[in-house]
Amino acid sequence: MIPYTIERRPDTGVTNVTMGVWLFLASEVMLFGALFSAYTLLRVSAPQWPHGRELLALGIGMFNTLILLGATTAVWRARQSQRLGPLAIASVLAFVFLALKSVEYTGELARGLRPAVSTFLAMYYTLTGFHAAHVAGGIIANLWIIAGAKRTGAAMTAGRLHAVSLYWTFVDVIWMIVFVLLYLS
Amino acid sequence: MRMFSTDHKVIGLQYAFTSLAFLLLGFLLILLLRWHLAWPAAPIPVVGGLLGDRNTANGILLPEFYTQLGAMHGTIMVFLAVVPLAVGAFGNYLIPLMIGAPDMAFPRLNMLSYWLYLAGGLVMIAGFFLPAGAASSGWTSYPPLADFASAGQTIWLAGMFLLITSSLVGSINSIVTIVQLRAPGLTWMRLPFFIWAQLVTAFLLLLAFPPLQAAAVLQLMDRLAGTSFFLPTGLVVSGQVLPVSGGGSPVLWQHLFWFLAHPEVYVLILPGLGIVAEVIANTTRRPLWGYKAMVGSALFMGLMSFLVWAHHMFLTGMGPTMSAFFQVTTMIISVPSVVIVSSLLLSLYGGSIRFTVPGLFALAFLPMFGIGGLTGLPLGLAASDIPLHDTYYVIGHFHYVVAPGTLFALFAGIYYWFPKVTGRSLNTVLGHVHFWGSLIGMNGIFMPMFLQGLAGLNRRLYDGGRTYQHFAGFEGSFRGQAWAAVFLGVVQIAFIVNLVWSLRRARQSAANPWEATTLEWATTSPPPHDNFAAPPVVCRGPYDYNVPGAAAEFLPQNQP
Repeated sequence: MIPYTIERRPDTGVTNVTMGVWLFLASEVMLFGALFSAYTLLRVSAPQWPHGRELLALGIGMFNTLILLGATTAVWRARQSQRLGPLAIASVLAFVFLALKSVEYTGELARGLRPAVSTFLAMYYTLTGFHAAHVAGGIIANLWIIAGAKRTGAAMTAGRLHAVSLYWTFVDVIWMIVFVLLYLS
Repeated sequence: MRMFSTDHKVIGLQYAFTSLAFLLLGFLLILLLRWHLAWPAAPIPVVGGLLGDRNTANGILLPEFYTQLGAMHGTIMVFLAVVPLAVGAFGNYLIPLMIGAPDMAFPRLNMLSYWLYLAGGLVMIAGFFLPAGAASSGWTSYPPLADFASAGQTIWLAGMFLLITSSLVGSINSIVTIVQLRAPGLTWMRLPFFIWAQLVTAFLLLLAFPPLQAAAVLQLMDRLAGTSFFLPTGLVVSGQVLPVSGGGSPVLWQHLFWFLAHPEVYVLILPGLGIVAEVIANTTRRPLWGYKAMVGSALFMGLMSFLVWAHHMFLTGMGPTMSAFFQVTTMIISVPSVVIVSSLLLSLYGGSIRFTVPGLFALAFLPMFGIGGLTGLPLGLAASDIPLHDTYYVIGHFHYVVAPGTLFALFAGIYYWFPKVTGRSLNTVLGHVHFWGSLIGMNGIFMPMFLQGLAGLNRRLYDGGRTYQHFAGFEGSFRGQAWAAVFLGVVQIAFIVNLVWSLRRARQSAANPWEATTLEWATTSPPPHDNFAAPPVVCRGPYDYNVPGAAAEFLPQNQP
């Protein structure tokens, strides 16, 4: 058997899963770091840059921010209480986030705000698209934990809850940056 | 051996055979191109008529196909052949064995990593079957050109996305395995240098590849959604101002691309240095000279490799301040490479060298990598880079690093660990044919490039540059290179025959045929599913050869 899947290695103080998820998040920082760098470079060299709050649906965006924070809170609740109910609630909330996001996209496309119109809109669709893909990935991870809980046992599930709680927090942090850069600028 | 196995040894071999197949394909593509450069007006012998009317006219390569060959050769060699062989095959097979672990930390992710790699590779190759052919904008895929290239470029970007995901999963797995699954007693300074090299490599892949993934998506957006991330305002194509929103920057792509691709250079070379270190210690029967300095250098090299990327971009006119910064960091990063190679060279001093086949490849690596590294210094300084950039000099430089450099290290590794994997030894006579033939062939191809480049011959030209006066006198060298490439190809037959024949027919080798000290030899050959019958306990450093006063000539790491 592979050691340290459930118990921590004494000299490093972590399990394999915890270490793996931190490394994954480090690579995600580089991924979004590159996107934010591209945003910065293109914005500073642009002669004019539209105000996101005038173009985008700020109301839905604000509400969605609360939904996403609620989802992450529920994931942390699941981690602390070691129960799967809050994780299911978190998944539903995250799904609501995606649904509202697609309402936003539909509205913008109906108003002719396609990605090809301006660099701002190109950045908007790319950044929010990347983020939405991460939310979708998080929902899949949640459902995978719920589905596998009986088979893997409580100790393994605890490790997985720990991992997704870190991931969802990261998704929130990214959303905060995206929200400020696009909706509040 | 199951196809969908989670055993790291099976996955390592899957990586090995797939990447060797890609290596051969990448070589055959460039063989066509070299022949064309030598005789641009003559049909390619034998295969010229078989490549189809879209790619050839009367057996002569068409310019469109020529650019595809160049782009796909680079892509295949870097992303599908050398890195998967060095990291996917050697890393996967050897990391758990050398640290005394039963498997990688995440076996199912490991399997996922291989299948994503295979899918990404096949998707890229599938470009050749599209109506307008494969990607043709160079392995660097610079926009604006790449933004308008045929559908092969879209396929290239999709394949790259899969490959990057594969390497992300693989690198997380390597790091966690090395940090978490080391056997009891295997402290950091008792790790074989190969493991250190793999650890630094995995960090480079983990942190440098994601920006290219972001860039690939931005380029996909440009191509599919009509955005202008890399298209400036007022760009004129074929006499027409492009009807796009503009405001993008082609140089942004170059920054994102080289932020990956410079660390990628160290991904190409570090595992090679790791293999050479293992083989040199074993073949000279001495501990590595300056092991701690080598480890420190590898770590420092990994860190610095994130700070040198724009030395590929001196020609973009980014200004003297930026150039000055990147020239300084580039000169600094040559120091750790020199420390490692000097340590390996000094390790030879006073050793009783056994000239085995892996030993020969490892020994030849040192001067070959030396040529590649030292010819890189003039390219790291803007003043000398500007005339040399985009000439054959650059091609000669990096091919010396990767072909007789890294590839020789990988060949050394294949000959060295073949008995571990199969329980049989590769044939020595065929091994000598392969070694000497490859050494002569590779130098015959790449050495003339330095002279051609210094004379100002530009790379990438369809006719090799025959319309320019400074081509005069180089006709013969192009023909010599073509024959050297054919010779190199013929010699590889010895290697392929050796692999296939030895797999089934060769005599059983001893359990530890090289009398090596590291942990992978502490189990049977081939190793069983969980590697070790009982978890090994490590009692000493990795290279206890000829320890003064010891009872035996070499002391395995797990011997008390």
